[in-house]
Amino acid sequence: MKCVIEGNGIKVFGKAVHALSRIGDEIWLDPLEKGLAVRTVNSSQSAYACFCFTPLFFQQYIPEPDIQKDCEAVKCKLNIKCVLPLFRCASWRERSVDKCEISINIPNSRVIFQFHCRHGITKTYNLGYQECEALQAVFPAHLCPNVLMAQSKLLGDIVVHFPVSQEEVTLSISSFKVTLKTFCEDENNCIRGMNTELMLHADEFDYFQVGEDSAVTFCLKELRGLLSFAESYGLSVSSQFGVAGQPVFFSVKDMTLEAHVVLSTLTDPNHKSPSQPVPGEDCPVDVPKISTAEVSTCEGPMETEVCVDDGEQVASSQGSEVFNPTPHMRKMFQLQTPGEMLPRPRLAPESTLTTPVTPATFKIRSLLFGAVYTDVVDSKSVDLPSLACSSDTEE
Amino acid sequence: MKFRAKIIDVGCLNHFTRVVNTVSRLTKACVLRLTCDHLYFVLSGRVASGGVSMWCELSQGNFFDEFQLEGVSADANEILLEVAPENLSRALKTAQNAKSVKIKLTKKSSACLTLAAELPSLSSVSRVVTHDIPVDVIPRRLWHDFREPQMPDFDVSIYLPPLKTLKSVVDRMKNLSNSLVLEANLNGEMNLKIDTDLVSVTTHFKDLGNPPWGDDGSQSSSPHRDPELMTEVCVDIRKLQQFLTGQQVHPSRAMCNIVDRRILHLIFLHEDVSLQYFIPALA
Repeated sequence: MKCVIEGNGIKVFGKAVHALSRIGDEIWLDPLEKGLAVRTVNSSQSAYACFCFTPLFFQQYIPEPDIQKDCEAVKCKLNIKCVLPLFRCASWRERSVDKCEISINIPNSRVIFQFHCRHGITKTYNLGYQECEALQAVFPAHLCPNVLMAQSKLLGDIVVHFPVSQEEVTLSISSFKVTLKTFCEDENNCIRGMNTELMLHADEFDYFQVGEDSAVTFCLKELRGLLSFAESYGLSVSSQFGVAGQPVFFSVKDMTLEAHVVLSTLTDPNHKSPSQPVPGEDCPVDVPKISTAEVSTCEGPMETEVCVDDGEQVASSQGSEVFNPTPHMRKMFQLQTPGEMLPRPRLAPESTLTTPVTPATFKIRSLLFGAVYTDVVDSKSVDLPSLACSSDTEE
Repeated sequence: MKFRAKIIDVGCLNHFTRVVNTVSRLTKACVLRLTCDHLYFVLSGRVASGGVSMWCELSQGNFFDEFQLEGVSADANEILLEVAPENLSRALKTAQNAKSVKIKLTKKSSACLTLAAELPSLSSVSRVVTHDIPVDVIPRRLWHDFREPQMPDFDVSIYLPPLKTLKSVVDRMKNLSNSLVLEANLNGEMNLKIDTDLVSVTTHFKDLGNPPWGDDGSQSSSPHRDPELMTEVCVDIRKLQQFLTGQQVHPSRAMCNIVDRRILHLIFLHEDVSLQYFIPALA
C-alpha cells in the first residue's frame, strides 16, 4: 500500500488518529479498493471506531501491491502511541509540511511515514507493525428504530455540560424530546458526584425518528473523539440506536472520508425481553483466537454475507473479508468435549458482553454487539455472530 | 426548609459566576449560608485548612430576581449547607448564556442544590440543563462555627497596592521562599520581605493610604502611635498567592489589616460582594 496525503489532509488525518486514540491503543490499517480504513477498538471491545478515507482524500492512493516498490495490500496494526506523536504540533505541521507519504514495507514489517517538509527536509518514521486480520464491526445501522441527525455544533453544545471525566451517559428518546444525563452505577456514587441532565426538543435536530422509546447508556468519553473531529470540520453527525443493550452508532460523512463509532450500551437489568440474550446465559462469549492460517482452513469459503436481511453492511466493510464466526463457533463447540462447561463471563459494566480473562494461547475474545442480531437470529440459537473480532493477539 | 432563587439578568449571572469561581479557587469545600437578604460563603478556620478562614458576603437582591427562603425554623430563618464550590462553578460555567437560571434546594437520594438553566435553542422550546449538586445540611447546633468573624484588633490597616503588581511580586517571591513577611505602617508604606539563606528580597510600596476606620473602628492603636512604626506578620506565601490568584472579581477597594505577628486580614470590597480572608501568622 502506498498513499500520499497533501497539506491540509495531513491535519485531517492527524485529527482522525487523535480521535481514534480516545478509544483504543492500537490502530488497524486496512487498504481497500474504496479507500484506506483506519480502525480501532478499545480493550474491553465495547467501543469501535473506523475512519475510512476515500481515494479522493489522497493525492495518490495505491492499495494494490506494487511489486517494484515492494508494497503489498497487507492489513496490519500499529501501536497508536507510535503514530500520535507524528501528527502533533499542529502549527508546525501547517507551516512546514507539504506532504506525507504512507507506505507499507513488507520485508521489514514496517509502515513508513514520510513527511516532506519545506526547505528540502524529509522526516521518515519507520514503525513496526503486526500483521493481522482486518478488524471490523458489521453493524446493521438501518435496522435501528431511532435515528438522530444533528450539526456537530449542537452535539458539541450538548456534551460541554458534562465533565470530561464523565464516563457513562444515558441518552433517552421519546416522541418529542431527547434527554442526555449522567449515569451512575450505584446510589452511593451518585450522592457524591454531580448529576447533570440536558433536555432538548426534537426540533433541534436535523432529522429525528423515534421508532421505539428507549434509553441507552454508553461511554461518552469514547465518543468525544469523533465529536470534536466533526466539530473541527463542521460535519453533521448521525446517530442510530435501538433499545438498551443494543449498540449505538454514530457517523459522519464527507466526500473524502467517512467515520463511524459504534459503542455498546448497558442492558437494562429491569427489562428482560425474550428476544434479548441475557448476558451470562445465552451468550457464547468464548471464541478462541485463531491465527490467519487457521481461519482459512476452518472456515472454508469466506462468507461475505452476514446474518442480516439483505446483506447490507456498513460502507467500510464492503469488499473486505467479513469474518463470520458462526460456522466457526459451531466447529469450536464440536471440538469441546461434551459436558465441558464454557466459563461464564463476568459482566463488565461497559460492555454488553464481556472479555473473560483466560490465560495461555487460546485467548477468549468477547463478542461485540451480538445483541443486535436478536431480530434476525433465531433466539434459541446459541451461536451469536460477532460483529467485530480482532484475531490478533491479546496484549 | 425551602429555598428557591432565580437569576434572569445575564450580567448578574456572570457576576455571580465570577464570585463562585473565586470562592472555588480558595477552597474545596465551604459552607453556604442562606438568609433572606444575603448569601454567605464561609470557611471557618480549621487546622485542616491551615487556619485560613474566609467570609464572602453577597447581597441577594443584587443578583437574584426571585429569592424565597424558608429556614430551619421561624426564629432561625436560615439554611446552612456544606457544598463544594467547584461543583457550583462547573454548573454555572456552561450556563453563561442562559435565559434564566433557577437554583433550589431539593432532595434526590440526598439533599441537593439543583441548578436548572434554560438555554437558548434552535427550536421554539428551550433547552433545559439541570445539575444536581450534592450538599450536606448543617445542623443548627453547629451554626456557631459559621458566624460572621469579628473584626480583629488590628494594629495597622492599609490599602493594598494594585493587585496585579502585588500578585506578580508575590508570584516571584514564592519561587524563593515559603514564608513572606508583610509589614505596613500608618504612613501608607508597605514592605513585602523574604529572607532565606541565599537571598533576601524586599519590595517597597509607598503612598498607599490608610483606610479611615474612625473613632468607632476598632483601631487598637492610640492616636499617638508612631505612623512610621511598622507592624508585621509572617505568613505562608502559598496561601497569600492562592488568594491573589483566585480573584476573578476586580474589587473596588482592597485593603488589609495586620495584627502584629498574629493575623493578616485581607478585605476586598465590591459594590455587592465583600470578601474577607484571614491568614494566620506562621508559627
